[in-house]
Amino acid sequence: MDPAATAAPIHNDCETEPNSVWSWWPSWRPTSMSLLKTTESKILSCIQNDLWARFVTLPNQDRIWTLTLNNKGVRKPAAPKTPLVMVHGFGGGVGLWIRNLDVLSRSRPVYAFDLLGFGRSSRPAFPSDAAKAEEQFVDSIEQWRKSVGLEDMILLGHSLGGYLATSYAIQYPSRVSHLILVDPWGLPERAQTQMEGTEVVKRPSPPHWVKAIAAVVSLFNPLAVIRAAGPWGPGLVNRFRPDFKRKFEDLFDDDTMTQYIYHCNAQTPSGEVGFRAMSESLGWAKRPMLQRVHLLPPSMPLTMLFGEHSWVVSSSGDRVTEIRGEAHSKLLLIEKASHHVYADQPEEFNRVVEDICSSVN
Amino acid sequence: MFPLDSPWNISFAGCGFLGIYHIGVASCLLEQAPFLVQHARHIYGASAGALTATALVTGVCLGETGANIIDVAKEARKRFLGPMHPSFNLVKIVRHMLRRTLPPDCHHRANGRLGISLTRVTDGENVLVSHYDSKEELVQACVCSAYIPVYCGLIPPALQGVRYVDGGISDNLPQYELKNTITVSPFSGESDICPRDTSTNIHELRFTNTSIQFTLTNLYRVSRALFPPDPMIMKTMCKQGYKDALHFLKRNGLLNFNGPLRDRPFLVNEKDKEYLSGEKEEEDNKGDEEEVKPHLEEGAVTVHSSSSLEEHIIGHLPPTLHKALVEACMERRSLVQSLGNLLPVRMASAMMLPYTLPLESAVSLTLRLLEWLPDVQDDVGWIREQMSKIVHRVLRQASTKISEHVFLEMKWFSCQLELHHYQSLPSQFSSTSLFPTWVNGPSPSVQDIFMRLDQYKTQLSGVLCTNMDLQGSLKDGPTSPNKSSSSILATEGLTMHRSCLSAEVQANSF
Repeated sequence: MDPAATAAPIHNDCETEPNSVWSWWPSWRPTSMSLLKTTESKILSCIQNDLWARFVTLPNQDRIWTLTLNNKGVRKPAAPKTPLVMVHGFGGGVGLWIRNLDVLSRSRPVYAFDLLGFGRSSRPAFPSDAAKAEEQFVDSIEQWRKSVGLEDMILLGHSLGGYLATSYAIQYPSRVSHLILVDPWGLPERAQTQMEGTEVVKRPSPPHWVKAIAAVVSLFNPLAVIRAAGPWGPGLVNRFRPDFKRKFEDLFDDDTMTQYIYHCNAQTPSGEVGFRAMSESLGWAKRPMLQRVHLLPPSMPLTMLFGEHSWVVSSSGDRVTEIRGEAHSKLLLIEKASHHVYADQPEEFNRVVEDICSSVN
Repeated sequence: MFPLDSPWNISFAGCGFLGIYHIGVASCLLEQAPFLVQHARHIYGASAGALTATALVTGVCLGETGANIIDVAKEARKRFLGPMHPSFNLVKIVRHMLRRTLPPDCHHRANGRLGISLTRVTDGENVLVSHYDSKEELVQACVCSAYIPVYCGLIPPALQGVRYVDGGISDNLPQYELKNTITVSPFSGESDICPRDTSTNIHELRFTNTSIQFTLTNLYRVSRALFPPDPMIMKTMCKQGYKDALHFLKRNGLLNFNGPLRDRPFLVNEKDKEYLSGEKEEEDNKGDEEEVKPHLEEGAVTVHSSSSLEEHIIGHLPPTLHKALVEACMERRSLVQSLGNLLPVRMASAMMLPYTLPLESAVSLTLRLLEWLPDVQDDVGWIREQMSKIVHRVLRQASTKISEHVFLEMKWFSCQLELHHYQSLPSQFSSTSLFPTWVNGPSPSVQDIFMRLDQYKTQLSGVLCTNMDLQGSLKDGPTSPNKSSSSILATEGLTMHRSCLSAEVQANSF
């Protein structure tokens, strides 16, 4: 890791980083927590409802960047509604929900937070053991819930967030009134383990050099490239993920979104380390969720949303329904949506989530 | 359900030798949902995708196109260094094949319907060509779109007098952003028709609009785009394309949907029908294919991604295509070639490489030079033009750099003076009372400057007026002080003087 990361000036309410002897050295990467803050506030300025953004400090001094949204019009609802808690995916942050927060907060309070090690939250060290890393993530969510003072919630997780939300729901079932998984990561087992035995012999693995490259790549953190690229990092994100800019182009006609993505991920890697610990050989989960979904209480309602074009195959969703039974699990396919369902088809996504929420209370 | 009430397009991604995948897709679309192709408003393509798009629009037999691609791949694999061998001339082969297969009136059919993605050399911008005056122009457009710089050659080909290179460099999936464009890509990702790898990798790249998921299989595919795999694997890829397209049609409810017009260009003639029945048996006992695969190191990669569930639904490739592909694959196993494939022979040829390579290179170079002769004049002219452009640009940049540098130095001086000026005179000042106090400054070099200033004090009153007039221009542009300094003030001392004045003017304006 590059010690120059700590060079940038640190804003008051930003996560403070230890000052190193290198702090006078100009930063190789054009990023800092305060730049992330500026970009994020630009995104959040689109929100019309009451927005309360603050750091929630956990007992272990980690700080979780949290947004709370309440409907402006309704001051005191007759009966308090179960809040909706949104967990973003890998490499993202609360800003990605911009097209959903306003609509969803109309009927009930909405909480969105940056996962530990992502976005503006603290970036602690993560253990390299899959189970322990997962534990740290899930623990931070539970501590966060306690600090915020929520009794129960509708938990929505996208991608990596979906994996963690499932894990959380398994451990703290009483806190989750409805689990919504949006294109969740880490459901299926690795193909090889599935066809153990005769099949494996029949079908040889990819060529050795492909494996060698994969082995080298897996030595690094997933997004090390954009950090190593330094001043060219923002350009790289722009070049290889122009879709983010396009998804939000009706809100921002400049590079705000790609910059947000860049600043989220160009900081000291932490959540990435945790993710790496939990995954193996280019993206499979070490502890796949399909092996554990039966641990979810059978009565807990579960809804899975998949994007039609997404590379996350909805067949693993079918498996979940098989395992849990049809009574309390539902699978929905959102048309014309990629992995980022909530940004590709916000209207449809919001409608579906709203329906689910109103089914709770 | 795919919206058929509004006009739709089909777009094929560029992918080098994986173009065989497009053939599978195209044949499936033609066979299962011909209206989807015939009534598509535009069919776009980049690089290898352009070849398939051309074949679809002009109604060329896809089997022939597929066989052509496999032939090119075989040609590329024949040599030790593969496509990098100097005697392998991709452009020439592609051009020849296009000329041979395209019907003479192809440009009429392609006009306005076929969009070929090209990259303009001069500014790197993407150009979608959809108007062709002659067959030759269509062929040239395809060649341009597939021209990967360095890999194919150094001098880019020209179309209608403009130089173009591979369309994939600027836009690999034309018009993908339109909601009603069916995107086809052989890389697993988020295209409409693409292989679905059973991977859960979170990372995804967009290579000039083509969504490529970061998986082992895709890594393999990318590597095979320029270095073709074994013909048998290419055939599997073709099948994969057919399967994925069928999956797409099924998902969108287009499979048994009778379009407004239903005439099948793939009418199976009698001979093919016989062949078909024979083929079925071969398909049924897939054993022979499975036997071949373990011998090929990479055989299973494409098989991996195909879900076995669908295997029984998908019958086989269209007979004409299948036949052509099988034939293309078969040739390989002649006695001489299998002899050449034996390890000792291969080893020997590898050992001989240092001796044979220069000879072969020389021969192919001469051949290329001879073929180049008709175009020499054009190309040399173009190269000269480019060179002169580059030289001009470099010179211009250098001159602006130098003038900037000079200006910066001057500015530094003026800043120093300004600083000093603030130290000595924090209170209000007037330009006339300034000079005597400045001379008391601590820095000897600054003192020296002001000694000179004093020398020119007599001239000051005169120059001052001029300089005050210059105020506006001084603040406006960074280049104007240079000009004014060179034109009005000649001596070094006076230049210093002037910059000090400018400092003063700046200070005043605060």
